[in-house]
Order: sequence, then structure tokens, then C-alpha cells
Amino acid sequence: MNVVLTGVHRSFGKNKAVDGVSLELGTGVFGLLGPNGAGKTSLLRMLATVLPPSSGEIRLLERDPRRPAARREIRRRLGYLPQNLGYYPSFTVVEFIEYFALLKEMPSSAVPEAVAVAVERVDLGAKAKAKLRTLSGGMLRRVGIAQAIVNDPDLLLLDEPTAGLDPEQRVQFRALLRALAETATVIVSTHLVEDVGAACSEVALMSAGKIVFRGTPDELTARGAGHGVGDAPLERGYSAVLSAARS
Amino acid sequence: MIFPNEPGRPSSAHDSAGDVDLGRVWTSVAAEVWRRHPGRLERTAARLLRSSGLARALVTAPSLLLPWLISTVVVFGAGALISLGPGQPLVWLVAPAVAAVGIAFAYGPGIDPAWELSSSCAVSHRMVLLTRAVAVFALNAVLGLLASAASGAAAALTFGWLLPMTAVSALALAAAVAARSAVVGAGAGVAAWVITVLAGQTASGQLTASVTNAHAYLPYLAVAACCAALVIYAVRPERGLQ
Repeated sequence: MNVVLTGVHRSFGKNKAVDGVSLELGTGVFGLLGPNGAGKTSLLRMLATVLPPSSGEIRLLERDPRRPAARREIRRRLGYLPQNLGYYPSFTVVEFIEYFALLKEMPSSAVPEAVAVAVERVDLGAKAKAKLRTLSGGMLRRVGIAQAIVNDPDLLLLDEPTAGLDPEQRVQFRALLRALAETATVIVSTHLVEDVGAACSEVALMSAGKIVFRGTPDELTARGAGHGVGDAPLERGYSAVLSAARS
Repeated sequence: MIFPNEPGRPSSAHDSAGDVDLGRVWTSVAAEVWRRHPGRLERTAARLLRSSGLARALVTAPSLLLPWLISTVVVFGAGALISLGPGQPLVWLVAPAVAAVGIAFAYGPGIDPAWELSSSCAVSHRMVLLTRAVAVFALNAVLGLLASAASGAAAALTFGWLLPMTAVSALALAAAVAARSAVVGAGAGVAAWVITVLAGQTASGQLTASVTNAHAYLPYLAVAACCAALVIYAVRPERGLQ
């Protein structure tokens, strides 16, 4: 198991962002759904070792991230796309991806080829030498995805990865996720239910910091049978589970 | 985006011996074309720091314009603080703290747009911050040396503040690299600076000057309050990320 969470809590003051989440995940694409403020981003930040849990236990890639040496090893094998990708406007696409490849302690000799592969995988070859300040929002999102996958991670965490991508790019991105998930654990936090249906082998739905559903997209769809809210079957399942959780 | 059978994929068993994997060829060509050749300074820094990532952080520090400007203003402000309170050991002890807080704020979560990403990387963001501090002091010391030819005040600031602080921050980084701990490095830097300042004051018999001068209390408190406010702001919980 690449990810094992046991009773994980995270609070900000009196606000419980994550409230007793337990999960075990192996390889595959795992979708994290939920409304705004459900705790998805806080959970992802804890998995990215950016935010420590208030209580509970996290094991990533069979290591305890509280130990500095283990945390460093986890981070070498981690790919992370934050919800708000900050970037250096004066860097080019290649420079930005290369910088984070080096910060992930990839061997310098392997970096140029890894950067080229990552750039090509997100179809930014034509913009490889362009400054980041000249790129559109969708292109910047793809730069973020490229830096996340440049080290061929065993654990890939993507927070709203398809925000800003056009429909064609989203279809291609889902195929990329499926290819990566053959050897890695890919966790995708998203609002877009159709992304989950198309790309994820398993899905969890969060509400008020808790996981209120876990299963396959088909099982989530089945929960929506006879429920009127939502245009697509999966959306009806999403709404039905959320309504049940809130009531 | 590419998928199996496109550039970047590994060779598969379906490739016949005579086939050329054009995808791999293209990726290799692209890697060569896009490859950035590190300069001599970066290569040397990579060897000394035992990290290509830290070396890259060192040489790119000035290109992050807003953090660079804020850091430089704070560093020169701290230098001015020293020139306003000569002979006051507490001023000498507080000034580096002001400079360090300013640099940490500028290149930390307050300003650095990619802080969240850096925090998830194997190279510790504290080590990156120490490296940025060395870059700020060293480059400003070089500029100060150039300005010293034209101005006596610049020479005083450079030799009395920028060069010593470059040495202290470099010592801190060296200790951090050797011990593989930014905290150890920062501790070594602080200890070296405190020992130097107190030894100088003891030799001149002015060790108690800073605490016997009542006029200095208000500026000390103001500086301490500013440092505390900056630290609180820099480590505040981010909003909208629950």
C-alpha cells in the first residue's frame, strides 16, 4: 500500500478541515470528490507532506513522513500539483520544470531527458523556451502537471488538475493519468464529476472533513438511482450521497 | 499530451529490430536542444553544496525580482540601523535578525509564489532559504565593493556590514550542508556572529553600553515588535485551503 491513513485529523483553529479520515490506497487513479470546503485540499496537502496532521497517523510509500530521512525519501518519489500553482514569471517552461526536478534530487545527468519527456507528455514542446509569464492559464496548468510527473513519481497528487484545460486536453489528460497509474498511486482532487467517471478506478466523496462514500464510479452512480438532482448518472449519485450525508 | 506509441514512451516488445523509435529519438534531440548548460559558478556551487538544486536556487535568487528587491531593501535598512547605533551591541545583534527575517519573508511563504511546491520537495526549503540569504548578501557585497570606489559611506557599509554578513551566512550554509540540517547551520551562524560582536565589545569595554543607555530602549522594542509581526505574518495559516 502506497498510502495508509489512520484516523487523520487536521484543524485550523476551531474549524475541522479533515475529521478522522482513514484510507488505504495502492496503485491506480483515486478520485477525491466533494464540495468546496469539504477538506480535499487539506487532505492532499497532508499527503504532500506540506501540512502535518493535528492527530492520526500517515504512512506514505511505506514510510513515516514525521521522520526527516523518510520524509526526504518520500518527497523524492512524490509528484504534487497544488490547487494554486505558484510560478516564477521570469523562468521558461524548461527552466521551471528543471528547477523542481533538481529540488526533488533527481540525478543531474537524468534531468534534461526527464524534462523533455515531461514537456512532451503535456504537449508543451512548442512552448518549451517560452517565459511562464507569456503562457495562458491552461498552459500553466500543464506546466504544473509536467513538474509533478518529471520524476516519474510513485505517488502523484493532483489538486484540480483539469482546471483551465479545454475538453480535448482533458480527454488526453485522463489517458495520461491512466498510463501513469499502471505503476503509481494517483490521487486526483476535483469538482468535475465527469473526470472521475472517465479516469478513476476508485472514488471517495468528502463532506465536512469526513469520507462519506468510497467505492467505484459505478457504485457511486448506482447510489443515484431514483434521485432527481444532476444531469448525468454520476452527478445524481454524487448528489444523493451528499444529501444523505448532510441529513 | 502523449500516450503509448508517442514520443517519450519506453521501447516496447512490438518494435522490430530494424525499427527506429522516432519518439525516443525526438525526446533525445529535444533534451539536447532544451538543455541548459550551467555556468561555472553554478557548477562550483553544486560541488560545494553537494546539491544541484541548492546551486540552482543560489544562482536564480536575483532573478526572482520582488523577493530580491525586498531582501535588498531590508539588508540595506539593517545596515543603516547599525550605522545609527554604533557601539551598541544589541543593535549589532538585532540587525542580522532583522535582515534574516526580511529575507525569510521575501523568499518564504509570504512572497515566494512557488513556496507550496518547494515545501513538497526533497531539498529542504530551509536550506533553500539559507542559500538565498547567501546570494542576497554576497551579490550586494559585490555591488557595495564596486560602489566603495566612489563613496566612503558605501565602503563603510560594505566592509562593516555586507562583507561580514556574507561571511556569516556562508558559514551558516557550510555548517548546514555539513550537518545536513538548516537548523544547525542557522545556529552556527548566530553563534559565530554573537561571539564576534561580544568579543569586540568586551575588548573595547563597552559591553554594557546597550543596556545602560535608556534612549536605545524604544528603538529596540520597535525593532523587536516589527520582527515579531513579520514572523507572525509569515507563518500565518493560509486562507481558502481547507
